[in-house]
Amino acid sequence: MAGEDPREKIPGVPRRRPVHKEISDGREPFFPNFLLKEWIVGSIFLVGFMLWIIFNPVELGPKADPMDSSFIPVPDWYFLFLYQLLKYFGPYLLFPAVLIPMVATLLLMFVPWLDTRRSRRPFRRPFATGAMVLSVFMMIWLTSEAWNQHLYEIGALQPAASSLPFATQHPASTTLMATNLPGYAIFKTTCAVCHGADLQGQIGPELRGIGNVATEAELLPVVTKGFPPMMPPAGGLTSKTELQEVVAWLAQQKQK
Amino acid sequence: MIKRTYDWIDERLNVTPLWRDLADHDVPAHVNPANKMSSFVYCFGGLTFLIIVTQILSGMFLSMYYVPDINNAYYSVKYITDQVLLGQVVRGMHFWGASLVIIMMFLHMLRVFFTGAYKAPRELNWVVGVLIFVVVLAFGFTGYLLPWDQKAYWATSVGANLASAVPFIGPYLKILLAGGSTIGALTLTRFFAIHVFFLPAALLVLLGLHFIMIRKAGIAGPM
Repeated sequence: MAGEDPREKIPGVPRRRPVHKEISDGREPFFPNFLLKEWIVGSIFLVGFMLWIIFNPVELGPKADPMDSSFIPVPDWYFLFLYQLLKYFGPYLLFPAVLIPMVATLLLMFVPWLDTRRSRRPFRRPFATGAMVLSVFMMIWLTSEAWNQHLYEIGALQPAASSLPFATQHPASTTLMATNLPGYAIFKTTCAVCHGADLQGQIGPELRGIGNVATEAELLPVVTKGFPPMMPPAGGLTSKTELQEVVAWLAQQKQK
Repeated sequence: MIKRTYDWIDERLNVTPLWRDLADHDVPAHVNPANKMSSFVYCFGGLTFLIIVTQILSGMFLSMYYVPDINNAYYSVKYITDQVLLGQVVRGMHFWGASLVIIMMFLHMLRVFFTGAYKAPRELNWVVGVLIFVVVLAFGFTGYLLPWDQKAYWATSVGANLASAVPFIGPYLKILLAGGSTIGALTLTRFFAIHVFFLPAALLVLLGLHFIMIRKAGIAGPM
């Protein structure tokens, strides 16, 4: 680095005289010039941090009770994606608890030897970039799934069964009915997020067999009103015809 | 007077080159937000370090009141929160700072990854960075138990049980981690020791390496 530097050395210190004081190439000494600018960024960051702390006091839950196994455990948010991964493997803990995290960490650690292309630009090394983007999306998705399921488990999002207008049915048959109706296509992309693609219920209650207890005319006002804040009016549908089509399809769900 | 004291020390220990090297190295233009707004992405690493420093400081103050004992841990945290002057704020700094370190470190890692800055000659620095990430996650895991509330206890139970999924050595690993077959008094003291002695030592060594290496190799050039 030092060999080709054209600037004259200042005796006694490893600093060099600028060639032309007026022409700057944008470089500047770390201390104090750059560090003071960086400190400005740091100060603003710290002020924001302190404001967040003051407006978000930390709670302390009830004291640990090893006897009370009814407590629903939840890790801190940054471990939620791993926690969610566990759920997909059932009793086979070896994969989600050991192998996947270990392999992922090792892959990350050896990235410099896996991605050996010269170019540093992200689009010139699509495999590395794609793998990282995909991993980040997977982690975000798993985290949000874990959190939604946790909220569902502690019942924060589920309206109390007694406040529901129709008793939840648990029919033995789980096959969807009248899937040729246009309402089904709309349901799949909207309501299914909360009520489940197979009406099994997720954040919202199960809707199988809803046709047994409610007619189209009874369902329409209930869906139109929604259950704020959990379910927006009309489930967020903006078109009246779409709403009617979904309700018409729901009324056909007469699973036994 | 200050100058004479400095000169006296410098004559004997020759300290000037040590800090002059740090102070005078040029910061390249492409990482300086004063030149280009988008260079802010290069601040993530420094901000992570800043938050780590506040974590160390707030942790030092919390340890003045915290008691790692299953009967008193919970009440000592309650005392910090409700009674100690600014205790709520210091605990808030340590609690929220833990999340913030992870967020900023993740952003820093993404910046390094997408700018390909881990390529030669900085491969070893990337490896050290990943190790720092692992150490910070371990900080999070051990620190979560310390308030000894329900959330802490049951989350750690799940975490410790996962250790037994490791083939062959699993059950022994769980006992090593928890200090016994169940989460209890020994787990708490063990996690406390790991959180305030073992991990900080590891973190400081790794951070030292991280900084020495980036000074040696320099910041990656513009894309």
